[in-house]
Amino acid sequence: MRYTLYIYIIAATMLLSGCKPKAKLPSQYAEAGMEVNIYPDYKDVVVPPNIAPLNFIVRDSVGTEYVAHFKGKEAELVAAASAGGVVKLDTTQWRALLVSSKGSDVSVDIYAKHPDGWVRFKPYAISVAEEPIDAFLSYRLIEPGYELYRQLGIYQRNLTTFDEVPIYENNREYSDGENHCVNCHNYRMGDTESMVFHVRANHGGTIVVQDGKAHKVQLKDSTIITSGVYPSWHPTENLVAFSTNKTGQAFHLYHAEKIEVMDESSDLLLYDVTKNEVSHIIRTTSDLETFPCWAPDGRTLYYCSANRSRLLDSSLPDSLAGQQLLLKYDSIRYNLMSLSFDPKTRSFGKPQMVVDAVSEGKSISVPRVSPDGRFILYTQGDYGQFHIWHKTSDLWVKDLQTDSCYALTEANSPDVDSFHSWSSNGRWFVFSSRRMDSNYTRPFIAYFDKQGHAHKAFVLPQEDPEWNILLLKSYNVPELSRNAVSISERDLHQCIYDTEGENATYKTNPTAIVNLDGMTGASPKKPVDGTSGASPKKPE
Amino acid sequence: MVHPKQAASSQRKRQPLPVLPIFFVLTWLWAAWYYGSVFHISREYSFWVPDTRIMEFILSQSYGILRYIGRAMLQLYRFPWLGGLFMALMLTAGSWLTGYCMRLRPSWRSVQYLPALFYIAVVTWHGLDIFFEARTGLIFGIPFAALVVLCIWGMMIKSFSRKPVPTLIGIPMDETPRQNGIQFAVIAICLAAIIGFDMWQRPYVRVICRLLDMEYRQDWNGIQKLARANAKMSNRPMACAYAIALVQTGQIGERLYDIRLDYDSLHIHGMDGAHNNASCLYVPEGNYYGGFIESSLHASMEQMVMTGPTIRLLKLMTKCALMREEWELADKYLTMLRRVPFEGAFCKKYGAMLRHTDKINSDPEMARIRLTEPIHDSFESQYQQPLFMGYNLMLIEGRSKEALVNSLSVCLYTKLMPQFVERLEPLVGTTPPSIIMDGIMIAENKNPGISQHFSGMNFRQPQLQTFLQNIQPYMKDRPGHAYELFPKYKGYYPYYYFFGNLKATKKGYTTLSSSSSGVN
Repeated sequence: MRYTLYIYIIAATMLLSGCKPKAKLPSQYAEAGMEVNIYPDYKDVVVPPNIAPLNFIVRDSVGTEYVAHFKGKEAELVAAASAGGVVKLDTTQWRALLVSSKGSDVSVDIYAKHPDGWVRFKPYAISVAEEPIDAFLSYRLIEPGYELYRQLGIYQRNLTTFDEVPIYENNREYSDGENHCVNCHNYRMGDTESMVFHVRANHGGTIVVQDGKAHKVQLKDSTIITSGVYPSWHPTENLVAFSTNKTGQAFHLYHAEKIEVMDESSDLLLYDVTKNEVSHIIRTTSDLETFPCWAPDGRTLYYCSANRSRLLDSSLPDSLAGQQLLLKYDSIRYNLMSLSFDPKTRSFGKPQMVVDAVSEGKSISVPRVSPDGRFILYTQGDYGQFHIWHKTSDLWVKDLQTDSCYALTEANSPDVDSFHSWSSNGRWFVFSSRRMDSNYTRPFIAYFDKQGHAHKAFVLPQEDPEWNILLLKSYNVPELSRNAVSISERDLHQCIYDTEGENATYKTNPTAIVNLDGMTGASPKKPVDGTSGASPKKPE
Repeated sequence: MVHPKQAASSQRKRQPLPVLPIFFVLTWLWAAWYYGSVFHISREYSFWVPDTRIMEFILSQSYGILRYIGRAMLQLYRFPWLGGLFMALMLTAGSWLTGYCMRLRPSWRSVQYLPALFYIAVVTWHGLDIFFEARTGLIFGIPFAALVVLCIWGMMIKSFSRKPVPTLIGIPMDETPRQNGIQFAVIAICLAAIIGFDMWQRPYVRVICRLLDMEYRQDWNGIQKLARANAKMSNRPMACAYAIALVQTGQIGERLYDIRLDYDSLHIHGMDGAHNNASCLYVPEGNYYGGFIESSLHASMEQMVMTGPTIRLLKLMTKCALMREEWELADKYLTMLRRVPFEGAFCKKYGAMLRHTDKINSDPEMARIRLTEPIHDSFESQYQQPLFMGYNLMLIEGRSKEALVNSLSVCLYTKLMPQFVERLEPLVGTTPPSIIMDGIMIAENKNPGISQHFSGMNFRQPQLQTFLQNIQPYMKDRPGHAYELFPKYKGYYPYYYFFGNLKATKKGYTTLSSSSSGVN
């Protein structure tokens, strides 16, 4: 019996060693004189020193073996691949290579065994930054766009390894009484101790996690359009700003973009977690306000705003607003606005124009302020707010010091580049892009240097690089965090399934802007003071 | 005193027959020849690759491993004779082990066949439900699980008992002719009853599956032949496949009404257990062949969200991505399909089209579809569903005569004559297809003189007059007489106008139920 076991072990070892070619540099080779084609494209990128190995596939139709040679200042790494070209790097050696190469370049040589001998492709480099990226990335995995949902969940990936764990998964099997969707997870300044996300349909409510405990709340009131949607935790106070949106989507018949997602109406809310009170920040019928985002000092709330009344025929009933807007979908444009906020009095100031995109024929969404408060990273496209389906969408920043706006050209692609999240040191950001196949979003990581310029982005590394092709789901809402989510999936399940959710008390905010022209901050009856948003509205 | 010859003859007569091998042959015939097309399509509406990461959507469900194994086995139905052979072997082995494990005496041996026959009966009862919404892992999963249990049970009996193992392929010598005959009778009666039930209560199941298979193989003539052979049978998947075949062969204006279009209720249920309209079986294809590539991709994706990937959806989405020249997306779906057993031919054919627009445009199927693609963009929600009908009702500008004929055909199908008349102008001075000529004659009633603008209309008027006279006795109860009149007026549009599809067209063209879901 024992001998049989030994035979099996020896046979298995031989089989495994036979499958994987030896990682040995070829002694003789010719120069291929061409660049290597690797998937994903990790050539000439800047990487954090704590990132997981950048495994890749060499796409070369004639090679039967491959060797990759990574050479840093003090360490090197050699990896081999068989005819499939899948190069998987040793994690320990990779880590040693990156740590020893902080602040310098790693050169990469790829060799391929062609029918007439080994060849070496033109080398490329990987720059290793000094600054690490936040170690955890959470995202929702869901099929791209479309109306229906079935199996989905919010997952957390350790960026220093390939470990992925579910934070929460919905019911795996169809059940009329159980089906539900989860979305819009968000943390307070990259700290998972404070977390919020929504559950829709069965077991619906907003899940707030604090101090390792989850509770469900219902942010509903007759004055609130739907419930909380896009969230932003206040950096210091126990507050969450939400947008509340009546959203619809329409499917193109003959267009490069498949889907148009539009808000028929939207406002901004403020939720006090401690008191379980919700109030309006802005409530207007003439404008669409969405994507709230606190500045790191907690004294400014940024958001996007579009004037919808100019697109509507006032002679038609409001019930037809959605249809009217649909026909003018490419004329809906959002500016980037802000409101000052006094955390002590919890009062808001007047709307201020931050970026006037509309006058340029552009539209802004998803503002995110850098942790040092200097830059606002946002998505800019030709129209609309759901840029995740707009091919014109690109990442832009506004430098609040110089008041200049510019595109992050090095990180952008011809396809969709949208939803983004800063690393807590401000040197990295992660964003969603459809650049790989125009349909399935993948998280891309880009370095943001001290001068405010982004560098070439690279896709989240996978243990099996082909997984980017094989996965039939999109990475939705990538959020970086310094620490892992500590609450267990079981506790979240219990909260979602076993509690109805406490109704938040609606409270009137004396400084809320109600029925004003949100674009200008003006009362319809009073003239406006330029773009500064004068003429504050009397509180409701 | 018995004569020696008579004794020998009597002995020959008493010789038991090998029931188990005969049972095997009968189940193979059932599983491969009779019901093979259903299992073959079940495979198409299923998906299996060895990679457990990709199959997580199945493995994470209850009995996931069983569903996974069941789907793997179903792959053999790429070739129905092979899948049928495997299923027959499982059912026969299961029957044999049942007899052994239950220690059945020869007089009770017919009982051993009942579980397998019960399985066949259940499959037949479910009909389209066995694969609808991709619950395909159970087709082989359940008999496999039963077989595993029986194997373990049998091994335990074998280990602890000296009970002789009954013969598997030889002649059971311990059976009397009567016992032997009873077994035959049980098997024959049960199989006959099951097949009888299928022909009586589920006659459309095999027809729909064969049509879906032909649709994939682009056997347009085969579809027409089969649909016309079952012209009295009426269901939407069949009607859609038939219409697609007519569109692909340029006959939509000539032969649409050769089959009955009244749509009997099908035994088909969704995931929620509720009766379903079977739109999953024809809407993605209907949109694709109607020239609505993006809507086909949309409908396919919605299905994929609900059921996980299926071979059929991935193939259709590959073709849609190629038509849209989304090369990376097409390659993605092809990469998935390359991992599915037996899909090499499809991947080779469509893989060659990647980044080759010329090859796409010269493919007969795709070239035909290109003719009816919309010219301008709009939104699906602006039209009634299914889109391939709703859009054509409102067609303003088409890129070809084929697009116009499709639109006119939909207007006639929905009996919306004002829309039909509005779109006739491009055909003025020509001889329209026969169905459109009949439509013009009916429109003449409210649009006097309209037929004069077209040629070839001469004999249509007397034909219509004769028809109108003949149907007068039946006009008071049109729904009641529609079925009996169909054979007489098969293929004649005025019959359809007055007697066909009354439920749907009475209240105007009805929409399909749509989801009440949100934005993802």
